[in-house]
Amino acid sequence: MEQPTPSRLATVISTQALTKHYGRVAALTDLTLDVRPGEIFGFLGPNGSGKSTTIRTLLGYLHATSGSASVLGMDIATQSVDIRALTGYLPGGIALYDSLSGTDALDYLADLQGRVPHRRAELCERLQLSDAVLKRRVRDYSRGMRQKIGVVQALQHDPELAILDEPTEGLDPLMQQAFYTLLDDLRGEGRTIFFSSHVLSEVERVCDRVAIIRGGRLMAVHSVSDLLSRRRRRVTIRWRGGVPDLTEVPGLEDVRSDGDRVTATLSGEVAPFVRAIASPNLDDLTIEPASLEEAFLEYYAGGEADGVEGLDR
Amino acid sequence: MNRPLLLRTWSWLALRGAIIGLALVGWGWLMPFLYGQFSDLIRDMVTNNPVFEQMSSFGSGNLFTLGGTLTLGTQHPLVISMLGIFAVGTASTAIAGERQRGTLEVLLARPIPRRVVYLTLFVAIAAVIGALLVALLVGMYAGSATQDLLGDLPAGELPLVWLNGFLLWTSFVSFSLAASASFDRTGPAIGLSLAYLLVNYFLEILGSLWTDVAWSQEYSLFHHFQVSEILDGAADPIDFVILAVAVAVPLAWALVVFPRRDLAAPA
Repeated sequence: MEQPTPSRLATVISTQALTKHYGRVAALTDLTLDVRPGEIFGFLGPNGSGKSTTIRTLLGYLHATSGSASVLGMDIATQSVDIRALTGYLPGGIALYDSLSGTDALDYLADLQGRVPHRRAELCERLQLSDAVLKRRVRDYSRGMRQKIGVVQALQHDPELAILDEPTEGLDPLMQQAFYTLLDDLRGEGRTIFFSSHVLSEVERVCDRVAIIRGGRLMAVHSVSDLLSRRRRRVTIRWRGGVPDLTEVPGLEDVRSDGDRVTATLSGEVAPFVRAIASPNLDDLTIEPASLEEAFLEYYAGGEADGVEGLDR
Repeated sequence: MNRPLLLRTWSWLALRGAIIGLALVGWGWLMPFLYGQFSDLIRDMVTNNPVFEQMSSFGSGNLFTLGGTLTLGTQHPLVISMLGIFAVGTASTAIAGERQRGTLEVLLARPIPRRVVYLTLFVAIAAVIGALLVALLVGMYAGSATQDLLGDLPAGELPLVWLNGFLLWTSFVSFSLAASASFDRTGPAIGLSLAYLLVNYFLEILGSLWTDVAWSQEYSLFHHFQVSEILDGAADPIDFVILAVAVAVPLAWALVVFPRRDLAAPA
């Protein structure tokens, strides 16, 4: 069978009203989204929101109750094996064969994949998996080392699409940075990455677009830059000689005065705001950078608190 | 069939298989030895004290003929335990164990259909069972040779004995592996598989020890492993057919059910 070329596809992952029920429990409801070639697509949601269910349905572990989806142009219901041939998958909380050494585990998984693991050496070097470490049995590995092996097994055969479920779990901050750089490089090579996470800061750091899922329903899909630019910023201004009237300042809301100090939220562009408050009496100005975390919380505003509590910042 | 999975499975079973294989050679050798050394003594004991008569038979075997002794050797609890380690222990944990540990995730992330995973594991474990039965029969042949009993042992029938035993034990592999493919945890899979083995064994032994319920043997798969009849040249094809059906039904069931199962994320 002729395999599709991802760069020629309009979408690498496409779902249409994808739904998964466990009995009466709806784990995923009417999920419709597209992932484009060459992007890092963040799939963001708290634990239990349906992220893993979506991934597992795309890869054939679960069977959709209704709706349809394609991965790399192939139907998930009928071409699951072909999809997995071109995909690298890192499951959340990966388990490996404890009795094998790191090298043997990677060899075994590469043999099962049926593709030459020509990226392995580079990945091991970047993730600081030395030969000495790889010779040790997996049962002796720390959680972080297992996670590194998990990353290598998912990417060693240079897949067209990588589906990574919470890939930085257990990695120390240095390794997280190395991993983010690795993802940047893969994107630069035109690889597509579907990146599931409940860590807002890393999605903001690495992703081009982000889908927000909650209770098995898609809440929004945005580019990260768009999401951040539309975010309301927190502004703190200190004045000399009294606070002027700020009611006409564009985009400023929730203005609160405390002596010569004013706090407010700012929506929209920063430049018109700065022009409007420019004055010799302006003593200090702090504009807190927009974070995806706040953007995310906005989508959850008015919802159940437990939906938000599952997120790490 | 997936070659890397097949080789890896055999690699994991190799040491255990070698140890049990050697034990079965020894056990197989012991049966003709016991017959050669003690059958006359036991016959005298039974003649002088009928209480021993009931004890001298076990399942479909006895100690008064070489064929009966070899049958007894294949139905002894020790052999059941040794072969059961693979037919029940290994098979019932092969898939459920990977699922419980979470390693089924990475296995099924590869481009391998679930049916191929299942069939590969089935072939891998069945092949080990086949090799262990060869070890048992080699031991029996060697024991017969050392006791100068080869004249009583129709060696040409041994392949048929092997086939009959292979079908019996592969039926337990088939059932256990089907159970393994049906549960997310090893506990229920092992429990169900062990119960299946023990009920079959109980029906066979109960019928042999208590003549009022001799009919129960007909409902045991062990009763269709008839070493004595085969060695006497009176093999019943029905026994082979029944065992083949007992292999095929769970196998077919699992090949339908396993690919359709939803495999949710491990807890």
